[in-house]
Amino acid sequence: MQAWYLNENPYPFVPPDVLERADSVRASLPNRYCDPRVAADLFQEALDEYLLCDDIGINVVSNEHHSGINCLFGASPLILGILARQTSRVRILSLGTLVTVRQDPVRVAEEYATADVISRGRLEIGFVKSGGTEMASGNMNPVGNVERFWEAIDLILKALTHQEGPFSWEGKHYTHRHVNIWPRPWQQPHPPLWAATGDPETSAELGRRGMVNVLVFRGAEETVRAWTAYRKARAEAGMPAPGPDRFGYAAFVYTGDTDEEGVRVGSKLLWFLNTGLKSAPQYTKFLPGQTRPELAPPLYRTSPAPGSGNVRAAVGRAAAALVGIDAEQAMARGLLFAGNPDTVCRQIREFQAKVGPFEHLVLASRSGFMTHAEAVKGLKLFAKEVLPRLPE
Amino acid sequence: MIELEIQRRGAGRPLLLLHGLQTISPRAPFLDLLGRHAEVIAPSHPGFGGSPRPEDFDSIYDLVHLYLELLEGLPDRVTLVGLSFGGWLAAELAVTCSHRLDRLVLVDALGIKIGDRESRDILDIFNTSPAEVRRRSWHDANAWALDFDAMSDDELVRYHRNREALCLYGWHPCLYNPQLRRWLPRITVPTLVLWGASDGVVSPAYGRHYAELIPGARFELIERAGHHPEIEQPATLADRIGAFLKE
Repeated sequence: MQAWYLNENPYPFVPPDVLERADSVRASLPNRYCDPRVAADLFQEALDEYLLCDDIGINVVSNEHHSGINCLFGASPLILGILARQTSRVRILSLGTLVTVRQDPVRVAEEYATADVISRGRLEIGFVKSGGTEMASGNMNPVGNVERFWEAIDLILKALTHQEGPFSWEGKHYTHRHVNIWPRPWQQPHPPLWAATGDPETSAELGRRGMVNVLVFRGAEETVRAWTAYRKARAEAGMPAPGPDRFGYAAFVYTGDTDEEGVRVGSKLLWFLNTGLKSAPQYTKFLPGQTRPELAPPLYRTSPAPGSGNVRAAVGRAAAALVGIDAEQAMARGLLFAGNPDTVCRQIREFQAKVGPFEHLVLASRSGFMTHAEAVKGLKLFAKEVLPRLPE
Repeated sequence: MIELEIQRRGAGRPLLLLHGLQTISPRAPFLDLLGRHAEVIAPSHPGFGGSPRPEDFDSIYDLVHLYLELLEGLPDRVTLVGLSFGGWLAAELAVTCSHRLDRLVLVDALGIKIGDRESRDILDIFNTSPAEVRRRSWHDANAWALDFDAMSDDELVRYHRNREALCLYGWHPCLYNPQLRRWLPRITVPTLVLWGASDGVVSPAYGRHYAELIPGARFELIERAGHHPEIEQPATLADRIGAFLKE
């Protein structure tokens, strides 16, 4: 199994009463609550953790979110540039640049190719669809986001692989008269491709394209549903069945010396769910394009209407259901693997038994108020005591 | 052919009524009241209400050309009334084909940029908190704002669908066409600009400015109304339009 370390680099040091009063910790929280000196320390610590991973054989993951306490990495390619130069062995996954809130995917392709070349071919490219708060901060239309997502991926792929001089692109969402990126990527024909999704329809398309499907904090049930759609789509298209290397899962993971330590420190990771997800309704459930109209009625009601049936909204409710979750619940749902090395190993194996074999485990192993020292300890224990015992 | 859900009321001279942020409820008193003065034809824009949206139909340009086609297909010149978002469409249509119109009425219309680059003219109804949007939309929100708990599933689906269509057409720039303002002087039909005195989505000052850009246009306030005079003051609004038709 391949392990990948993800630190979203959140900024938790905003006074609790401010967070309590704010309707959203993303998109609209004033940046005067961000002390750049504190932020600098957080960046240095996160980069040090990535360098540690380079020494102990855990691959690294860079992501991006905008305008919020949940993630200070506002531009994945910027961090990739640092990682490409400062690490030397591990693979580097961008999961990812929020392509649907970039005006020009060609720039993203150029930045990815650059990071791939600097790292001499260690880049992996992951795509994520962006959330509602990102539509505000990215100034992009939330309606049509998925369509834009696929067109951006198509354009990036062509830019990465086209070697015969300028080509033009006149698509529905993007037009570009003259695409000819330099450098071209180190890896040929292009770096491996991933996407994070739990949406079966998107997973099916990933299957047809042979991209790695990673699920982020989704639990067993949603993971099985997505991967079933992936396999089915390939079978229907007459394509060979996917190997475990096409599947990945991201969970909160913390390994301590004892179960008590693992769970106590690991619980700090749940800050991401309990505090970092708080978003105002205008960025989530009421934002157009997030929920199909026929599923919308429950979003608007303060209580279920009599006789309104079991219409379940896809968005808003799912995230809201995670707020307030504790360590026991998170472990039971396969969102958190925490304990001593034996326990973490067992939890991961049990999760694999439920969802089927997957090769990539993304470790969200620092979040919230967990300290750098705690994160370092957990990573070292995982690399030494857990990773070698996980199935190939 | 593009299918449209259309509501009709009254008889007499044809009046095309273009709805705003939401479609007009078939139970709205305004429709019947306006129907006393004209033959009201009130379509739901593609993507709104019961009107399907063709897949390649995703901009104001498409809506304007659809309604141009409709205007040109009608036997007589038409009174065009546009509410809010529909006011934007009406202004675009009047710029392009004044010769097919005999009167233009804009009610709390969106569609143009007036203030400087750091001043927002039009409330960002997509990314503003629902409570603030509610506060700024009505003269008396407690009396008139939608009560979601009292709405049926069908009504909520329609409401959400309308928001989605509006967002598709109007997200960027936020509910205006940067080019429209410079062409408003091309409007040559008698024009009445009516505005809810308490409108906090687009202010009466914006409305006055809008009217000043249209040659000969008259601006009037509707008291005790916010962004939706057709809901808060339907009789006053219908009477003002009726009186304007007789001038």
